[in-house]
Amino acid sequence: MAILNGKHVIIIGDRDGVPGPAIEECAKTAGAEIAYSSTECFV
Amino acid sequence: MDLENQKRVLNISEEFGAENVVVLLGAAEAEAAGLAAETVTNGDPTWAGPLAGVQLGLTVYHICEDEIKSEVDAGVYDEQVGMMEMVMDVPAIHEEMENIRSQYCKYL
Amino acid sequence: MNGYPVVKGAAYTLAATPSMVIYNGTTQTTERVVNPSSEYLVELPKHLRSYEDVISYIPNQVYIGNAHYDDLANTEFPYYDKKWEGAKEDGKFGCIMPEDEFYGVMHICDVFELVMLENSFAEQVKEKLAKREMFTEEQLESILKNNADQAELERLVNEEHSEGLYIDQTHLVGVVKRAHDVDVNLSAHVMLENLVSKASNVISLIELKKKNNFDPASVEYVIDCCEEACGDMNQRGGGNFAKAAAEIAGYPNATGSDVRGFCAGPAHAMLHAAALVKAGTFKNVVVTAGGCTAKLGMNGKDHVKKGLPILEDCIAGFSVLVSADDGVHPQIRTDIVGRHTISTGSAPQKVIGSLVGDPLKAAGLKITEIDKYAPELQNPDITKPAGAGDVPEANYKMIAALAVMNKDLDRSEIANFVKKHGMTGWAPTQGHIPSGVPYLGPLMDDCMSGKVHKAMIIGKGSLFLGRMTNLFDGVSFVVQANDGTVGGKSAAKKEVKVCKTANYYGTKIAFASEGSEHGQDNIDLAVELAAKKGIEAIVSEGETAHKEMEAALNDGTAQAAVTMHYPFPIGVSTVGKVITPARGKAMYIANTTGTSDTDRVSALVKNAIAGIIAAKADGVEHPTVGIANIDGARACEKALKKLKENGFDITFAESARADGGVEMRGNDLLLGTADVMVMDSLTGNLMMKMFSSYTTGGQYEAMGYGYGPGIGEGYDKLIMIVSRASGAPVIAGAMEYAANLVANDWKKIADETYAAAHAAGLDDILKASAPAKAAEAEAEEEDVPMPAKEVVTAAIPGIEVMDIDNAVKALWKAGIYAEGGMGCTGPIVQISEANKDKAVEILTKAGFIG
Repeated sequence: MAILNGKHVIIIGDRDGVPGPAIEECAKTAGAEIAYSSTECFV
Repeated sequence: MDLENQKRVLNISEEFGAENVVVLLGAAEAEAAGLAAETVTNGDPTWAGPLAGVQLGLTVYHICEDEIKSEVDAGVYDEQVGMMEMVMDVPAIHEEMENIRSQYCKYL
Repeated sequence: MNGYPVVKGAAYTLAATPSMVIYNGTTQTTERVVNPSSEYLVELPKHLRSYEDVISYIPNQVYIGNAHYDDLANTEFPYYDKKWEGAKEDGKFGCIMPEDEFYGVMHICDVFELVMLENSFAEQVKEKLAKREMFTEEQLESILKNNADQAELERLVNEEHSEGLYIDQTHLVGVVKRAHDVDVNLSAHVMLENLVSKASNVISLIELKKKNNFDPASVEYVIDCCEEACGDMNQRGGGNFAKAAAEIAGYPNATGSDVRGFCAGPAHAMLHAAALVKAGTFKNVVVTAGGCTAKLGMNGKDHVKKGLPILEDCIAGFSVLVSADDGVHPQIRTDIVGRHTISTGSAPQKVIGSLVGDPLKAAGLKITEIDKYAPELQNPDITKPAGAGDVPEANYKMIAALAVMNKDLDRSEIANFVKKHGMTGWAPTQGHIPSGVPYLGPLMDDCMSGKVHKAMIIGKGSLFLGRMTNLFDGVSFVVQANDGTVGGKSAAKKEVKVCKTANYYGTKIAFASEGSEHGQDNIDLAVELAAKKGIEAIVSEGETAHKEMEAALNDGTAQAAVTMHYPFPIGVSTVGKVITPARGKAMYIANTTGTSDTDRVSALVKNAIAGIIAAKADGVEHPTVGIANIDGARACEKALKKLKENGFDITFAESARADGGVEMRGNDLLLGTADVMVMDSLTGNLMMKMFSSYTTGGQYEAMGYGYGPGIGEGYDKLIMIVSRASGAPVIAGAMEYAANLVANDWKKIADETYAAAHAAGLDDILKASAPAKAAEAEAEEEDVPMPAKEVVTAAIPGIEVMDIDNAVKALWKAGIYAEGGMGCTGPIVQISEANKDKAVEILTKAGFIG
């Protein structure tokens, strides 16, 4: 069963890893509903 | 994890039901990914935020894990994550995520 | 004129503020709100470092310039348990300051009576700061004002919302009061943050002055690029940290402004500064920033959990001086700039592509052609234990991956690339501080030692933290070693030592260098070649080049001038000097530019006289004269022989061809049969170019002495002409030619020769050779009175040289004052700007111009 399809997805991206908007683009193609997306910054 | 983010995670889980929510992470390091994963499953380990002591058990993956990569359009994935995948230690991240999921995820 | 701005100086400073970690770092202040009894807060004080440990911490020694970034790379990770041997508070680029003295600087920076120190503490701090020789006596005295006793300080903290200033973690030694009872933007919390930013900024600005050789009064603009905002509730980010800090730091002639861009702020500010300098708006701009209290101990929880010391315990500052090209310091390539745009997106490869790949590609550079990359240079000792990884290393890997994708690099070379083109980060995680700019100081050394030719500075900013956009941001630029010639405007001002033993020592020549087809390096080389002969060239360039050149001639600063074009009046024409190929003999070509007379034969005769003057003044005692076999040669010969008959001293040359004679054939030109070769100036101009450039294929005039001095009766300025195609040896040759003419008192020789010619009946001889023209001219002179003289700055070209006099008269008739002359492309009529349109109309109507 798909993990993302039809699910409400919360995205916690990382400024120096994969940022939130980049993950959003990916998740959308898998049929996920973006519930929240943010990017954390450790520096 | 940032306090505002913890608050949002809590609210969304309550709104849609924890079983209908998936958390995707983009952390640069396995350790940071593990901490974030722990926060949304077993609660905030630093006991600072709204998720302190809240065991949501949410399904959580890192964007670089094969389980997720295989569901994402390959072209989009390559464009958005391809380069970072080369830079990050994907096996270490996967191991850490597996470790957290096996302990705390409730909806796998 | 294409000189890129240079990085002329850099300063980096730290203030060790362990107590501020506890009271002002947001990780700690947040924890106190949400979890006041947390174990972290209990454990934290045990993890704060001593001042000595802060000083000996290797990344800190790299930051202030006592250790090299390679030293850090060669240190086994982690760094917190190592010490730099011989660590000092004072470094090549700046200094480290302890907490108590930093509070003293905050007091000096406070102009609103907000900072109060405990009375005896203030006195101690004043004494300590006095030893640093950073502040004026008046500033040091100000520390003793507006202070209080311990009880009052405690009351202010407990009852008046003041923020405490502590040493040794718990000992209250001062306060920052709120600046307004209601306005949150002027609350004690905000005022403390802003005063800390200002104070650390001031320390860096002062260190910039101390550690670099420049006059602070020459700084015209200061740009602050920290991440704080100052203003009251009606203008929360009104600014201006820049001017406020520069005021205290002693930059009396600067204004400034604040540039913000999160962590990318410094990179943005560098672009602003470079653009202001490149545009010529300002010559010296300082980019500067203080640090922030909020980020103190930001990753403290992880550090404490892992038993590490709190490594984020310093307030950092930096200042960089950006100046007009000096031919020495590394240049900011304002034309190789990367930018993350709104449509770039946040995918890491897109980000790195926009900042690294795109600008380099546009400049035709490979990724591997940049010797060093300076992305954000966060110290991995801080970020790795916090789970944020090694930020610079991750960036290097991405750049390497991009190079692989661009086929600039083989996949197997990635690790090598990271090592060779990367650096281990040493910057404290003070947000904007790591933004690539910590490398600018070491980069000056790397570029000047030849280790690095090109480097790229990359700044990135997390705009999304402001909750105004989800966008990311970043800008980048290339810095390159200054080879002293790369089109640098002021590269010509490079120090050239004039040879003191050479013959021409002491000769000064004004050189209007504007317009060379061979670039700035040609100009520089010419100046150097002349210097070796003892000649000092005073170079002027740009739109004012000719004005400066004339001013130097007029006030006697220079004895002669060299220029690529000059509007001589009719009657003045130049005598060139070439090396003839057959015997390597010098020959004077009379003439090469300008018009000595509008009548062809008269012109040839006058050219012969000018040629004799030039040759004599150049040291040829009895120059032989030959006339090129061109139209008018016979008439010229007749006139010159008549002059000789009448007693004018002239020695005729004899053609080397079997039939001899004064008329010179092409063979004689190559042989240099005559010392002075007479011809009309258009032919002479052709000859000059042939003789100067036939060995190079024509584009580069490599031989000879140029088109020579403008000579005419009564003309008393020594102005030498070279061409836009003249190479450095020809320009230097022109200067040598000029130096000879000066040494031999050319003006006296000219006056004597003209007097002798007139005594030998020159005027009658010319009239006889061109009777019709002379009669016409006389008639014109009788008829038309000259209007009142005025300054003529406008020029009308396109008039036949023979018609110039008549065109001038035609204008005089209409009441317009005009003068004939030679422009750089041919004859011109000069009039005042006001009369130009009318003059064009008259000359068009009369058929002088089309």
